[in-house]
Amino acid sequence: MKNNLNQSAPSVTGRRYWRSLDELADTAEFKEWLQREFPQGASELEDGVSRRHFVRIMSASLMLAGIGVMGAGCRRPEEKLEPFGQQQENYTFGEAQYFATAMPTRNGAIPLLAKSYEGRPVKLEGNADFPGSNGSTDRYAQASILDVYDPDRTKRFKNAGKIVAAEDALAALSQISQAATNTGGQGLAFLTDRSTSPSRRRLQDLISQKFPNAKWFAYEPVDSDIHQRAATQAFGQSVRPVYHFEKAKVIVALGSDFLGSEDDTHNHIRRYVAGRKPETGSMSRLYVIESLFTLTGAGADHRLRVPASLIGAIAAAISAALAGSPISAPAGVDKKWIEECAKDLAQNRGNALVVAGQAQPLEVHLLAFAINSALAAVGSTLALHPVTTPVGGSITELAQLLNAGSVSTLVIVGGNPVYNAPADLNWATTQRKAKTVVRLGYYEDETFAQTDWHIPAAHYLESWSDATTSDGILVPVQPLIQPLFGGLSELEFLARIAGETQTSPYEIVKATFGGSEEAWKKFLFNGYQTEAAAATVTATFAGTPPEVKASTPSASSLEVVFYRDAKVDDGRFGNNGWMQELPEPITKITWDNAVLVSRKTARELGVENGDLVEITLNGRTVKGPIWTQPGMADYSLGLALGYGRAAAGRVGTGVGFNAYAIFAGSYVATGATLKKTGETYVIATTQHHWSMEGRPAVREANWAEYQKLPNFAEKMHGEEAPIQQSLYPNPLDEAKKTALHQWGMSIDLTSCVGCGTCVVACQSENNIPIVGKDQVTRGREMHWMRIDRYYTADPATEKLSDTFQKDEAQQFAEWIDDVQAVNQPMLCQQCEAAPCENVCPVNATVHDQEGLNVMAYNRCIGTRYCSNNCPYKVRRFNYLDFNKRPLTALKGTLYPTAMLGSKTGGELDIVRWWKDPNAGMREEDEWDLIKMVKNPDVTVRMRGVMEKCTYCTQRIEHAKIKQKAKAGGTDHVRLRESEGTIPKTACQQACPAGAIVFGDVSDPESAVSKLKAQDRNYSVLGELLTKPRTTYLSRVRNPNPAMPDYREWPHSFEEYEKHNGNPYDNQSETVQKGNS
Amino acid sequence: MSAIFPKWTNSLPLALGAVVAVVGGVVTAGVALYATPKHTRVGYEPVQPVPFSHKIHAGQMGLDCRYCHNGVEKSWFANLPGASTCMNCHNQVMKDDPLLAVVRDSAATGKPIPWVQVHKVPDYVYFNHSVHVTRGVSCVECHGRVDQMEEVYHAKSFSMSFCLDCHRDPAAHIRPTAQVTHLDWQWSTNAAVAAEMQATNGTKFVHDWKVESLQSCSACHR
Repeated sequence: MKNNLNQSAPSVTGRRYWRSLDELADTAEFKEWLQREFPQGASELEDGVSRRHFVRIMSASLMLAGIGVMGAGCRRPEEKLEPFGQQQENYTFGEAQYFATAMPTRNGAIPLLAKSYEGRPVKLEGNADFPGSNGSTDRYAQASILDVYDPDRTKRFKNAGKIVAAEDALAALSQISQAATNTGGQGLAFLTDRSTSPSRRRLQDLISQKFPNAKWFAYEPVDSDIHQRAATQAFGQSVRPVYHFEKAKVIVALGSDFLGSEDDTHNHIRRYVAGRKPETGSMSRLYVIESLFTLTGAGADHRLRVPASLIGAIAAAISAALAGSPISAPAGVDKKWIEECAKDLAQNRGNALVVAGQAQPLEVHLLAFAINSALAAVGSTLALHPVTTPVGGSITELAQLLNAGSVSTLVIVGGNPVYNAPADLNWATTQRKAKTVVRLGYYEDETFAQTDWHIPAAHYLESWSDATTSDGILVPVQPLIQPLFGGLSELEFLARIAGETQTSPYEIVKATFGGSEEAWKKFLFNGYQTEAAAATVTATFAGTPPEVKASTPSASSLEVVFYRDAKVDDGRFGNNGWMQELPEPITKITWDNAVLVSRKTARELGVENGDLVEITLNGRTVKGPIWTQPGMADYSLGLALGYGRAAAGRVGTGVGFNAYAIFAGSYVATGATLKKTGETYVIATTQHHWSMEGRPAVREANWAEYQKLPNFAEKMHGEEAPIQQSLYPNPLDEAKKTALHQWGMSIDLTSCVGCGTCVVACQSENNIPIVGKDQVTRGREMHWMRIDRYYTADPATEKLSDTFQKDEAQQFAEWIDDVQAVNQPMLCQQCEAAPCENVCPVNATVHDQEGLNVMAYNRCIGTRYCSNNCPYKVRRFNYLDFNKRPLTALKGTLYPTAMLGSKTGGELDIVRWWKDPNAGMREEDEWDLIKMVKNPDVTVRMRGVMEKCTYCTQRIEHAKIKQKAKAGGTDHVRLRESEGTIPKTACQQACPAGAIVFGDVSDPESAVSKLKAQDRNYSVLGELLTKPRTTYLSRVRNPNPAMPDYREWPHSFEEYEKHNGNPYDNQSETVQKGNS
Repeated sequence: MSAIFPKWTNSLPLALGAVVAVVGGVVTAGVALYATPKHTRVGYEPVQPVPFSHKIHAGQMGLDCRYCHNGVEKSWFANLPGASTCMNCHNQVMKDDPLLAVVRDSAATGKPIPWVQVHKVPDYVYFNHSVHVTRGVSCVECHGRVDQMEEVYHAKSFSMSFCLDCHRDPAAHIRPTAQVTHLDWQWSTNAAVAAEMQATNGTKFVHDWKVESLQSCSACHR
C-alpha cells in the first residue's frame, strides 16, 4: 500500500520534509490539516451565522432569485454595439495590441511589452527582444498593472485637502515657477525619489540652471544606491557595478539577497541560473553569509548563519585569508568555513565574485570591491558601467534646512516621506516647516495629509518618460492609456515648475532622445535604443579597504535588520491586493509582516509564534507578532519594511506593523530590546496548506553524486500498483492519436529560486481573485500556482530523540537552526489519467484531445469531489463571490450579507443588482475600475465553481486559431517550435530563471521534449499512475567537499534514504564504478 | 372504528398521479418548446437606429461581407464598420437623405451609432469568427441569408447543440474558402447533386486542410 497516506507519514526513524515548526512537531492540529480535504473552517459557514440568520439570508436570496427569474431571466438584455465614427487604421477590434514600454525602478528599469485590449492594458510581459533578456520580469512589474486600476488612487487636484480645479492647481505651479524666477529659486527645495530617466535629469539640470538657488534632495527608504556609491568610491570614478553571475564559478554573498530583495533581481536570477545548468557539465557554487533566511540563502550551496552586524568581520576575515594573513573568526563561526571559502575563491581567481548586500554598511561594500579587485573579478564577473553622478542631497540635510526655516517651498515628487522617512527626522512636522508643500503623489497617503497642493500623479503606464536599465541601455516608457484621472506625469510636473513652454511629456522625452524621426519610431517600436551598447570601464580598487566595525548581539542587546519586503517593496505596493496576498517566498506569510526570530532567540526571550512583542530601539518602540524562522541568525530580528500603513487605501491600510517607526536610516541596528506584551495575533500563512507529507516531491543530489548517477531522481520513483490491464481504458489514449499537439511542461528545480513572479503573473493572466486574510487562514486562497517551500534539517546536528516528540518544546530543538530549503512550483499537473475527472458527477472537468485537463466552469456544480481526489491539491474553489466582494471585505469579516434593505454607495443593493447583476456589493468606483484589469480571454468565475491551472488554455487556443486562420485552405495548422508559433504560458513567460518550459511533447524536437528526456526528469507522485504532463527536473546542489559543513548528499536525500531505503541497491555496481 | 379516511380517498393517489403527470408533462413540453434558444432567440429582430438594408447592400449590390465587417478574418469579432466606411459611398449616393443623418453625424463627430446587437453567444463561450471564415465555414451557416434580410434578424438558434451539429460533422458544412462570403453559393442547382458534392468535397477538405472535429470543452470555454 504505497499510496496510503499513513504509510508515508513520518516514522520515528525517518526524516522528512517539513514546512513549518508545527508540522515538524507533528501536532494534532497539523494532522487534522492533513486528514481533511480542506482545512477546518474552509468548508463551514462560521462567524456565528446562526441557523435563523442563515434561513433569513436564504429567503432573501430566494426572493432575489425569484425576481431575477421574472425579470432578468426572461428579458433579453439589449446590448449596443458602438463602432467608431472614423474607422481606425491598423486596429482590429478584439485583437490585443502590444506596446513596448518599461517600468522604472530605483536604479534601472524593466523593459516591458504591455498587452492592451480596446485601449486598456491588461497584462505586462518582459520585452524578450531587449538585449540579453529572456522576456522575464520581477514580481513587482507583474503586479504594477493592478495599481493603474486601484480605486484608491488619487483622482483630484487638491489644496489643503479640498478639491480644486486642475487649472487652479496648475496656476499654483506657475506661481511657484514665477516666484523662483524672481528669487533664483531661493527657498525652493525638491525632494524626489530615485529615477534613471534622462529626461527627468535634463529637467532637473534645467531647473538648477534657471533657479540656481533651488536645492535637490533624494530619498529612497530602501537605498540601493549604495552599490553605486561604494563602487564609485572604490574605483575612483562614477560607476555602477553589474554582477555577471553567469561568468562566476564561485559566488560569495555577504548578506546580499541578490535573488530576492535587491534591485534588479530578474536580471540577477537570469544570470545566476545561467551558470548553474548541471547538463552543461559545470555549475557555479554559491556561499551565502546572512542573518535572515532569504531566497539567496535558500539557494546557497553553503550558508553561514551570522548576525548581520558580524558579516563585515567575516568579510574582513575572508579578505585576510586571501591575503595569506592569519585570520580570526568571530565567536561561534567555524574558522575552517572561512578558510575553505577563501581558498575556493582564490582557486577561481578571475571567475570569483563577492557581493555585498544593500543592508550592509559602506565599509563592507568597499571590502567586497577590494576582494573582487584582488580576485581579478573586475571586467570578468564584475562589470563597471560609467554613470552620471546622481543629484540630490540626503533627506537628513533637507530636514536640517527645514528646521532652520530656510525652505519656503518644498516640492515632493513621488515617494511617501511622512510614512517612510527615518523616524529620528520626525518628518511629519519637519515637512510642515516649509511654507508651501507641493506634492505629486499617486495616493492620498500619509504624506498627503501634510501637503498644501496635491497634484495627482499618472501611473507609468499612463505617462511618457524614459529610463536607463541597470546595464545602461536607454528604454522608453510609453503610455498605454490616457491618465484615467487626469494625473500629471513627473516630467510635465517638473516642466511646469521649470516654467517651460513645452510641457508635453511626449515632446520632452523626444527632445531628450534627439535622433531622427525614424530613429525615434524605431526606439519606441523596439522598446530600447539599439545603437547604445552599454559601455564598461575597467578599474582597480583604489586605496586600502577600511576597517569594519563588528558587534555581537545578545538577548539583551538584539540586532534589528530592516529589509525590503518581497511583496509591498518599501510600502509602495501596500494597496496592491495581489502583492498582499502573495505568500512571502520564505515565510509564506500573507497580509502581514512579522518579527522574524531564530529558535534560540525565541526560547531565550520566552516567545512563540503569534506573540505580540514590543521592540524598543533607541527609545522608539513598535509592536509586532513573532514568527520563528528556521535558519535565522540568533539575536537578530528581521523586520520587513512597508507595512503598517495608516493611509494606504482600502486594501493596505492597517496591514502589518510599521517598522519605519524604529527605523533611523540604518538597515542593521543594534541595541534593541524585546518585550512580550501578552497579546497574541493571528498570522495568515499558507505554510501548512497543501502538504505532500514526506514523499519525494523534491528530489535533489549533490554535484558529485549527480555525476555518478544522473538519473537518481527516476530511481526515487515510488512503487507502482501492479496493473495488468486497465478496467477502464483512458479515452485520451485514443483521442491523442489524431490530435495536432500534446501539451506538456517541465520545471527545473535546479533553476527555480522561488521568487514568486510566476504566481503573480498567473494571477494577472487568469483573473484570479484576491480573497483576503481571513479567507487565507481558512485555506481558501485562490492562486492557481503556489510555490511549495520545504525545509530539511542537518542530520548531523539532529538528535533523533528530540526530533519527533509530540511536544511543544520540540519546536525549539536545536537542530532546526541550520536548515536547507527547496522550492517547488506546484500547479495542475495535467495528469493524463486525472483522478479529478473520474469523480466529477457532471463531467465539468474532462480531458481534451491535446492532453489538457480542462475545466468547464459553466458546467461545474461545486461538489468539490475533484479537489478531494486531487493528489497534488492544486484545485481551488470559489467559496464566495470573490469578484463581487468590496475591497473592504478583504480585511474584515467575512460574509457581507445581501439583505433586502442593505445598501452600497447609498443605493439599495437590490436596485444596484437590477441595474447591473455583475456589480455585486462593490462601490461604484471599485467596480468600474477593477473590471478593467480583467483579461477578456478568461472567464471571471463566480461563487460555487472549481478552478485550477489551465496551462493558459486561452493562449493555446489563440495560437491555434491564429495558425489555422493563416493556414486557410491548407493543412499548415500545426504549431511548431521551429516556426515560433508555440505559445508561452504566463508563468513561463514571467520566470526570470527560465525554469518553466511549456510546449508540444509530441514533437521530439521541442525544448520541453528534450528536457523531459533528460536524466533528471521525474514526476511527482508518478507512482499513482496519474501520468502527469508536468514533470520536474531534479535539483542539483554544488557544495564544496572541503567545507566543514559538507555532506555527501543533501539532507533531503538522506531523509528519503532512511524512509524508503537506498534507491540504488540494485545500482550498487554503478555506484562503485563511479567511485573507483 | 370508523374510517379516518373516506372512501373516495382510495382513488386519490391515482388522481394525484394523473394530475402530476399532466402538469409535469405540460411544463416539460412548455419548457422544451418555448424556453429554448430555438424559440427565444430565433426571429429576434430589433429595430436599428439606421434602417440599413442588408438585402440591398449585400444582396442586390453584391457588396462582400468583408467590405464592412473587415475584422472578421483577423479577430474573434466581426466588427461593425465605422460610419466613415458608410460615407465612402454615401458621400456621393443619397448624400442628403434624412435617413442617413445619423450616419453623417457619426462620421463627422465621431459619436458612435448605437446599433443593437442581434447575435450573441453567452459570455462563457469564446466564439472566434476568424478561424471559421478562413477555414471554409460560410457566414450563412450561422447567420442565415443575411443578403435577403431587410432588417437583420436572428436566423439560427445558437444553442450549444447547434454549434455541436457542425463541430461533430464539419464535412457537411465546409465549402471552398473563396465561397465563404457568397451566401447564395451552392455546389449545384440540383439539390441531389449538391448534396453528393458536399459529401465528397467536404470530406476531402476536412482531410486536406486537417480540419479538426473539436468537441472538447477547451475549444469554446476558457
